[in-house]
Amino acid sequence: MRINSKLLLAVTSMSLLFTATAKAELNVFACEPEYAALAQTLAPDARVYSATTAMQDPHQVQARPSLIAKMRQADLVVCAGADLEIGWLPMLQMKSANRQVNSTDKGLFFAADQIDTLDKLTHVDRSMGDVHAKGNPHLHLDPTRMLTVAQALSAKLTEVDPENASRYTQSLSDFSQRWSAKIPQWQEQAKNLAGKKVIAYHSSFRYLFNWTGIEQVADLEPKPGLAPTSSHLASLLTRAEKGDVMAVIVASYQDERGAKWLGERANLPVLVLPMSVGGNEQSTDLISLYDSLLTLLNGVK
Amino acid sequence: MSALNTRVSLLALACAVSSYSVMAEDSSLTNPSISAVLDGYYQTGDRPLAERAEGFGLGETELALSANIDEMFYGKVTAVVESHDGETELNLEEAFIQTLAMPYGLSVRAGRFLSDIGYLNNQHLHTDAFTERPAAYRAFLGGHYFDDGIRLNYVAPTDLYWTMGIEAFKGESLRAADEHGERDFDDVGVYTALTKIGGDIGIESSWQLGLSYLRNQNGQAYAEDEHEDEAADEEGHAEHSHSASYTGENTYIADFVYKWAPNGNYKYQNLTVSGEYFRVTDIFGMEPGHIVEAGHEDVSTDDYHQGWYVSSVYQFSPSWSAGVRYGQIDTNEIHEDHLDPQKLKESEVSLAWHSSHFSTVRLQYTHQTGTNFDGFEDDNIFTLQYVMSLGAHGAHQF
Repeated sequence: MRINSKLLLAVTSMSLLFTATAKAELNVFACEPEYAALAQTLAPDARVYSATTAMQDPHQVQARPSLIAKMRQADLVVCAGADLEIGWLPMLQMKSANRQVNSTDKGLFFAADQIDTLDKLTHVDRSMGDVHAKGNPHLHLDPTRMLTVAQALSAKLTEVDPENASRYTQSLSDFSQRWSAKIPQWQEQAKNLAGKKVIAYHSSFRYLFNWTGIEQVADLEPKPGLAPTSSHLASLLTRAEKGDVMAVIVASYQDERGAKWLGERANLPVLVLPMSVGGNEQSTDLISLYDSLLTLLNGVK
Repeated sequence: MSALNTRVSLLALACAVSSYSVMAEDSSLTNPSISAVLDGYYQTGDRPLAERAEGFGLGETELALSANIDEMFYGKVTAVVESHDGETELNLEEAFIQTLAMPYGLSVRAGRFLSDIGYLNNQHLHTDAFTERPAAYRAFLGGHYFDDGIRLNYVAPTDLYWTMGIEAFKGESLRAADEHGERDFDDVGVYTALTKIGGDIGIESSWQLGLSYLRNQNGQAYAEDEHEDEAADEEGHAEHSHSASYTGENTYIADFVYKWAPNGNYKYQNLTVSGEYFRVTDIFGMEPGHIVEAGHEDVSTDDYHQGWYVSSVYQFSPSWSAGVRYGQIDTNEIHEDHLDPQKLKESEVSLAWHSSHFSTVRLQYTHQTGTNFDGFEDDNIFTLQYVMSLGAHGAHQF
């Protein structure tokens, strides 16, 4: 028993030591790179960490030690929400024992809570595959929704770190100005895309297609979350042979094999689009990500 | 009678709640996460100290219910239904609360829960890549060690993951054999202290190292004056028990895990390599007050049990994964006042098909070689098994 109390003392004194030195700047933990980019824009002085890259499927992330360590130190956790991170975020919260980021009342922020998601379901069944009852969580590719998210995130930053409120207000107004100036440009670029038909992988680009007017006529996945099967690909080939499909589209973290198979047989271009910031060389922040997406889509011959 | 009632009402409760929780969004007290795990198999032989017997059978059928109780506490109940030799047993594997809002990275878990020692122990059996736990787990921890107790855990606010924990448990399932039922056991029998560190190497690799120490006040076996072949008795009858078969006063565990995925993207391909080493010391002593007879002074206090394994699992597509594992244990069996060494080696290969990440069908081959190991000598065993989960998405540990 004496050993235990000594250990307890050591543990407690050590924690006090660490907390005394750690609280210098705002630590932001982002689940996906798009929210890391947004947080960094809205809080330029913050130390922002992204749990995933644009090359990683955010549905399937390991609750690995480095993420627990980062979440332990976070003042704010920013995620897409709508159950996208359900397979790993709760484990990180449990293991990191950081009460600051346990609930959305405090330092936890879900982008999907701030807007109306597309494709909400009233009934979810495993036979439907990996679907989200709360609607499609890949909402960062809708410029107007992202502006709403940015406003809400800025308010959350102020709530978590009121001392720097004026800086957050300034950063938001800078961002809003630049973003709002870009939206009509993007809409102009999207004009040629309206009504075009594509075959894509998962509902990853649901929001992008929604505001550009692109129609996804088929999905490479037989069901959300399941890998393409040969029989499913054969049925897509039949669909593609109608001749009205512009391209086969996959995201930067998705396997290209099924798309390539289909593209070769149906003589369709295969387009790998950056899913997020860092998804290709051009996408270094949110604005260049949108620029790159529209340039790539318009480049399809 | 009362046991039966508990069973029925628990199941009824779970069924009642699960009917509307399929659509569970955020788990809450009125809408908890419910999940069930189904596990069935056919196998061609017996592995020593294992849960599964030859022929058709069911593994652990798990029913779990969890939710945040309020802002301060999280709670979880896991009931496990097992059938052995025609008997159906309902056991509680977990029934714990955990704090959610303690300061300084501290948390407390209390109730019945899986000890955090080693790498595999805090993971549920259905997440394993092999049909049975490694022999070291079966020999020294009764498969997986869960018990009634309390844990204090601390996570350091450092970029390198560093956690420390101390636990105290009742320790009944780790008690040394007590043939005559006369031994005066400590009520709080087990204390543990553990630490884990971990991090990433670039974008593609992650690792974790752990060291654990388990003090078992009731772990030392006493010499017998008369010939009592306890250990053999215990295993020879393939009697079902979650108790450790080989115990000692001190157990030291070192563990590591390394995971890799191309670009750090786990969806399509990934590799896991893990291993653990166990050393159990002070396994054999003289009963307090025992008078050593002439000619029997040769009992060595240096004797120990040890065991280790190394395993590697590669998922080469979302639907297929394959694993290899080698493990062995070197144990001592007590005969009167001396120890007889035993050895068991297991080489295993498994191939699994996953229709989604909720269902697995596995074929596993085990080659086992025993030396003085209760008649297990040279065996080849095949197991065909399914493990499927339904209900809430469970977040898995690293």
